Order: sequence, then structure tokens, then C-alpha cells
Amino acid sequence: MNLTRDILDQQVVDRRGQRLGKVDGVILELREGAPPRIAAIEIGPVAVARRMHPRLAAWLQRWLHGHGPRSDGTLRIPWSQVKAIGVDVRVDLIADGTPARAWEEWLRDHVVRRLPGAE
Amino acid sequence: MKKYLQVTLGIFTSIGGFLEVGAIATTAQAGAQFGFRLAWVLLLGTICVIFLVEMSGRLSAVSKHTLQDAMRERFGAGFFLLSTIPGMVVDWLVLASEIGGVALALQLVTGVGYQWWAFPVAIAAWLLMWKGNLGLVENGTALLGLVALAFVVAAVRLHPPLHDLAAGLVPSLPRSDGAGYWFLAVSILGALISPYLFFFYSSGAIEDQWDENHIGSNRFTAIVGMSFGAVLAFGVLTAAAMVFYPRGIQVDRYEQVALMLTEALGRPGLYLFAGALGITCFGAALEVALGRAYVLAQGFGWNYTLNSPPANSARFSLVYTGMIGSAAVLMALGIDPLTLTVFSMALTAVTLPLVTLPFILLMNDRAYMGEYRNGWIGNVAVVGISLLASLIALVAIPLQLLGG
Repeated sequence: MNLTRDILDQQVVDRRGQRLGKVDGVILELREGAPPRIAAIEIGPVAVARRMHPRLAAWLQRWLHGHGPRSDGTLRIPWSQVKAIGVDVRVDLIADGTPARAWEEWLRDHVVRRLPGAE
Repeated sequence: MKKYLQVTLGIFTSIGGFLEVGAIATTAQAGAQFGFRLAWVLLLGTICVIFLVEMSGRLSAVSKHTLQDAMRERFGAGFFLLSTIPGMVVDWLVLASEIGGVALALQLVTGVGYQWWAFPVAIAAWLLMWKGNLGLVENGTALLGLVALAFVVAAVRLHPPLHDLAAGLVPSLPRSDGAGYWFLAVSILGALISPYLFFFYSSGAIEDQWDENHIGSNRFTAIVGMSFGAVLAFGVLTAAAMVFYPRGIQVDRYEQVALMLTEALGRPGLYLFAGALGITCFGAALEVALGRAYVLAQGFGWNYTLNSPPANSARFSLVYTGMIGSAAVLMALGIDPLTLTVFSMALTAVTLPLVTLPFILLMNDRAYMGEYRNGWIGNVAVVGISLLASLIALVAIPLQLLGG
């Protein structure tokens, strides 16, 4: 398996096929006397921003914590919950209620549902 | 039946993405100012867009990824942001132009100024996306858009000299006003080769669950759909070249553009022009707004769909809502729609390689496309034409700004 080719930037879907986000970061565990292994995958805008510039990530994190759902939308999924890697990365989770959906749900409840005909 | 529906997607993509405010405005100006001499640019743009539309359908059918998903996956988050931000800005201007096109069509019919129509038009388009579904949007535009055939009828009735038209298909250098000639040339290319078209088309292919069996009909759809759009655009160019060029009339207002249909078709020509302009621009406005919502949702991995209520895809729905609302503000402020249109088309030409070059890399990637990889002809045509368009636009836009 090739980390950047097969995992990074792939679409992540939950148990029911709902889109959670992209694999925005991969977290490796360094072990003494053994090769590093993947500990988790990370989803969220802060992880994307960290790949551009750390200061951008810090600023974005502060901003997201101060607005809307007060969540930076970061979801770490332990590698043990990654079930399959094909066209999408399938994880053993339900998307609803996770931080990856925090902004989606906040916008749905506070903006979209206040407009007519949103249901 | 399935194949028929697929061709509908093609015709809709063609009407919304090919013949819309940009193509009508730029080809009408080209015909008025240079007669048939820019016809070759129209041909070049059509060839390029046929290749690109075919490629986006094939990419989705084979890789099961939309164009944007594939780009994010293959080129990473940095590239995604780098190409998306300029694309968003340009498409926002294009969207404002399309709203302006519909608003002007309504002004022609009612006499009420276009600024007043900006919000009603935006709300109508928004409601269709908010309440309707993709099928209704596609079929409605494809069917009603046939009124644009009036351009072809007018062109034929004006008895154009066919040898002049044929001579225009051969590339030539301008005899005078070089800056204006090249500026219009790249504006035509930008109007025909619109990146939102490919994002939209490949998203449609994924929503309709294409697979390898669709490759043949996809090629047919791309060729027929885009050629249909091209015939309409040639109609506009021809009518403008017959009506305006001999009299030395420069088209700098949309009301003038309507004259080319009244000349050939009489009073009904005005209504046919308004109908064709209004419907094609309306379809294009939907396509641009949806295309960008798709790009963001796919690039960030959000949930999205047009076939269930907006509450099920809040971020996706808010992107098209925000884009169409803010673009309507620009039009309501009274910015001249024709000027905005031609400039946003030229800007589209500048940004083309940001989409076409990575697209070509994807289409040649064995891991993605396997045995369905691109041939060299498609590669050369797309890379050559889009680089040419971008380079000329980078020179022609400043010259046009300085000169005009």
C-alpha cells in the first residue's frame, strides 16, 4: 500500500455510504525497533490547512472554535475502524453527530431549515 | 430509453454550457467586427470541447470518480485549493453574466430595466435547484433551448456567402485592430471551453451511474451534443456577420444583438432572440452554480445530492445559494452585462490550463484509466488549444484594458 497514493485525499464514507470527508491527514505511530505504522486517519479543514502552513491551521482552528457549532470539524478515525479501501475509504462509523458533520448539521439547523421548502 | 436520457444530458450540457450568454455575446461581436474571419476560432473551440466532454464522461465511467474527486485524489489538497479559488472567482463573474443575460432578455420583452430582473431571475433559478431535481432541470432546458435554432434559421434566410464562411475556417491574422481580434478570439474560446461544463458533466455521469458500457454512447453524446451547440453558435456568428459587418455596426449593447434576428425574421425575431437568450442563459446559470457546488462538495468530501431535499446536503445547497445570491447583487448594481460577459469569458480562457493540464495527466494515468487511456490526438488538441488560449489571453486582456 502506498500512503499518499492509496489513502491520502481519498473520499471517506461511513457504514451507510454517507460521505464523511476526505482523508485530509494520516497519523503515523513511531515505534522503537519497528517500522512506523498508521495510527489513524484525520478528516477536517484544519488538517488540510496544516498541509499548507501551520500558522494558517492555527488561525483557522481558532476561527472555527469561535463560530457556529464551536467545533473545528476535526475527526480522527483509528486505523482499526478502517474497513476497506477501494474507490472510497470505508470506515466503521455513523457519520451523523461526529465532528466531521458539525458544521453541516449546524448550517442545516440554523440556516437551511429556516429557508422555505428545505425538507 | 436510457441512451435517450444520456443524450439529453449531453444536449443540456451543450445548451447550458456551450451556447449561453458568453457564446452569444462573443460570436455576435466577432461577426459584427470581423465578419467570418473568426469562424476558425469557433471550430477550434468546438473540437477542444468535444474532446474534453468526452474525456470527462469516460473518466467517470471508468474510474467511478467525478473529475473533481479524481483531481483531489491525484494532485492533493494544495492543488485543489490553488485551482479552485481562481475558478470560483471567474465562475462567479460568469454566473453574474448569465443572470444578466436572462435579465436582459426580460428587459427586451417587458421594457423594464435589467437591474430590476436580477433578483427575480436568481430566485427562480434558486427555487429550481432547491425544489426540483436534475432531470427536470436537464430536460426542461434541453427542450425549451431548441428555440435557439432561430439563430440558424435566421442565418440560412440571410443567404450567407458560403465561400466566405469556409475561408473563415482557415486561421488568419487580423488586418487591423489586432488587439481587438485576439481579445475576441480568446473570449470565444473561454466561452466555449468552460471548466464548469466538465465538472457538471462528470458529476451527472456519476449520478446516473455510468460504467464502461457507456463509453460508446458517451462519445456519441459528446460529439452530437457539442456539435449541436456549435451549429447554433455558427448561426449567431453568421447572422451577425451578415447584418452588422457590412454596415460597420459595432455591437456594444444586447439590444443591438436582437437586430440580427429581426432583420431575417421580422418582429417575431425580437421575441425569438429574447427567448433564446433567456432560456440558454438560465440553463447556464443553473449549470455554473451547481457545477461550483459540486466542485466544493467533491473537493472537500461533503455529502451532496440534488435528488433529495436541501436539508440533507446543507453545505452543498448553501454554496449554490450563496453564489447565485451574490452574483445577482452584482447585476442589480447595474454593471454592464455585455462588458462583464466578454471579460469573464477572457478570464476563463486564462484559467483554462489550471483544469485542462491536470485533467490530461489523469486521462493518461494507467492507474485510473487502464486500457481506456487517452490517445495522442486528444492530448495534443486539448493541451495545445488551452495553452494557446491562456497565453493569448494573458497578452490580449491588458491590451484591451489599455485600449478600451
